Amino acid sequence: MTTETQHGSVIVMDRRRGKLRAGQGLLQGLRVVWDHWAGSFRKNDNFSKIHGTFTVEYPEERLPMPQAYRNMPVLLFDDESGHELCTGCYQCQRICPPQVIHITQAKDPVTGKMVPAATEFIIEYDACMSCGFCAEVCPFDSIKMDHVYELSTANRASLTMRKAQLNRSISYYTGIAPGLWAEVQAGAMKKLQGSIKRRPDVIGLAASLTEKIKARRLELAAAAAAAPAAAAVSAPAAPAAPAAKLTPEEKAAKLAAMKAANANKGAAPAPAEAPVALSPADAKAAKLAAIKAANANKGAAPAPAEAPVALSPADAKAAKLAAIKAANAAKQAEAAPVSVETAVATAPLDAKAARLAAIKAANAAKLAAEQGNNE
Amino acid sequence: MQDVVNQVINTSFGWGWPSWAIALIGYLIVAALLFGIAPFQMLFLTLYERRAIARMQDRIGPNRVGPEGMFQPLADGVKIFTKEDIVPTAADQWVHFIAPCVVVAPTMFMFAVLPWGPGMVPVDMNLGLLFFFAISSVSAVGLMMAGWASSNKFALVGAMRAVAQMVSYEIPAVLSLLAIVLVTGSLSIVELINYQGGLFISTRDVASVPDWGLGWFIFSPVGFLAFIAFFIAALAEGERTPFDIPEADSEIVAGYMTEYSGMKFGLFYLAQYVLNFLLCAITSIIFFGGWQGPGVGWLYAQAITPVNPQGGWVFNVLAGVLGVFYFLTKTYGFFFVMVWIRGAYARLRIDQLMDFGWKFLIPLTLVNIFSAAIWVGLTKWGAADGLAFVEGWSPLVRWAAAFGVTLALNLGAYLFLARIFAQSQDERARQDDDVLEQLTNVA
Repeated sequence: MTTETQHGSVIVMDRRRGKLRAGQGLLQGLRVVWDHWAGSFRKNDNFSKIHGTFTVEYPEERLPMPQAYRNMPVLLFDDESGHELCTGCYQCQRICPPQVIHITQAKDPVTGKMVPAATEFIIEYDACMSCGFCAEVCPFDSIKMDHVYELSTANRASLTMRKAQLNRSISYYTGIAPGLWAEVQAGAMKKLQGSIKRRPDVIGLAASLTEKIKARRLELAAAAAAAPAAAAVSAPAAPAAPAAKLTPEEKAAKLAAMKAANANKGAAPAPAEAPVALSPADAKAAKLAAIKAANANKGAAPAPAEAPVALSPADAKAAKLAAIKAANAAKQAEAAPVSVETAVATAPLDAKAARLAAIKAANAAKLAAEQGNNE
Repeated sequence: MQDVVNQVINTSFGWGWPSWAIALIGYLIVAALLFGIAPFQMLFLTLYERRAIARMQDRIGPNRVGPEGMFQPLADGVKIFTKEDIVPTAADQWVHFIAPCVVVAPTMFMFAVLPWGPGMVPVDMNLGLLFFFAISSVSAVGLMMAGWASSNKFALVGAMRAVAQMVSYEIPAVLSLLAIVLVTGSLSIVELINYQGGLFISTRDVASVPDWGLGWFIFSPVGFLAFIAFFIAALAEGERTPFDIPEADSEIVAGYMTEYSGMKFGLFYLAQYVLNFLLCAITSIIFFGGWQGPGVGWLYAQAITPVNPQGGWVFNVLAGVLGVFYFLTKTYGFFFVMVWIRGAYARLRIDQLMDFGWKFLIPLTLVNIFSAAIWVGLTKWGAADGLAFVEGWSPLVRWAAAFGVTLALNLGAYLFLARIFAQSQDERARQDDDVLEQLTNVA
């Protein structure tokens, strides 16, 4: 029962006062308890009532979390581009009172310069005190406080969260705190566009991808399994499959594969030109290495492509992974032939180093091929 | 049971065993059944109490282990069995060890005279009621042993309180039963139940009343007052709130159970809940007809009984099932009332408890015995006993006259005593305030 007062609506309880005869008070006490008992068979959803069960049966029912509820920090990435908002600016690492944030700044492999992205981002959840300073200080709105509170585990080491485990999509964050994201969205996305422009290659891409991308990958793997012959022709299986819209990672892999192919192509003519200026023995060795590297690349490529032929979609995923690994290996190999090319062109003394590099590349490629076969 | 065993062994198999062997086997089977039933009553009642009290406090109660928390008592039992048994070094080892057994054993004995349904009584003792209450007070010895042997001040204080309370409240309990015994003229519990056939009026008082199994004592003023007094005394015997002074956790930890752990503690708990079950059962038997209810009497009349050997065994089963159903419904109903009272009232002080028992309940039950005597005189006596003026009255008129007189007497006594008691309590509170004032002035 509510009553309007000067200060607003007030809940008034009926105390059933009045003149009591002998034993009547005891009966009234029983009546109160009875009312509660009888009322408890339905749920109390309105807290101005005093009867009904208040219990929220926790694992099955949960109270909705307030938007600003904070538990543990997570890293956001953009759903569209797959790019992380984090630039590795170290602001959070600096402010963290228990010092549980550890960041490694990304570097451009070619130029060696800093890139606005983090290659590794570790938060030790076991020591985190959920103060939310990191989220408050983050200038790129990359670090946000999650609402997940069921983190109990028997394994303490599992609470050291790496970047892949910390990644959450922006759509996830808008799901738990739409109002808070709406406030910062414009600025955050603008800053992200700036960061993306300065990120070469796959740097800054979220390692764990959204459901959408996973689904796309499965689809692609299924397509690859359906057309093994077509996949076997071209080197990396995944990019060769008919892909209407490629994910950033796949795009990067395709690019790497193409680069590797170009490098192979480039490396092959180079030794042919080499004999003109160099000693025949060294030139021969360099040529051999280049051919080996090319073979290895070729060998690596068909292996994952053939794998999915007889396998279930789950295995197809593994084969897909192998194909990506092979492509990465090819990318590594790419660096070597390039150096061979430059070495051949410049000085004969460097030719030996070039040969070594070529052999290393070949080994790496072989290793990748083996891995591909094993997986 | 012995008839059935005799039927199976001597008639079906034709082994011709002596009657003492038949009796032994019969009693062993019944005893084994009861020893199985008693702990399960306790398990069920703990869950029942927790669920019911939770509802009264707008909670849900234990509902996680099994459907609706069905296996929660089993989980508790497993827990209590695996707990370490700690005996204090200062304790009197043997007495400390034996005390739980002394507390549990009487509660098991009490099942011996408890009728579950028509013809379903382990022993139809003609002193059943006396046996029941005599045995129930034996557990006070066990409590005192527990409190003394623990060599712990809380345990000793708890045991003292327990014994004082049990001894004090035995008196109103037995006095209120005395009124019923006056009316029935028998101490046999089976006879007590048989007396309660009828429809709001017992067939033994007015023979023309149809027998619906509803002639319970609660419908007479004598029985009603006796019921109130007895139930309050039962609460005190069973150490239920508001009389759970012996184990008042806010003052003396757990009373006489303070130094007990593991299964010994579990045994005290078992004894307590079994005792509560028995008190509820005896309340339902004495005042609410036990297994009496619509249909049971008729069904039992068709069954195989010593009176009617030509009956059908199906009626034995039906009468048994219906009778046990009525009996357990009433019993658990009373347990619900116990939980209800626990949910509603705060614990009394020991002096309030003693005041209430000695100054209110005992005078009230004494008046009630007087009423019972009037009841018996008006309904049963005649010119031969010196009551010539009731000779011409029909049984219904005699019953009505008895009802009216006893109602007036009991109601008047209740109101009068309640007034005196309230005045004495007020006076006492005022004196306490005065003393407090003096003390504060001194300070």
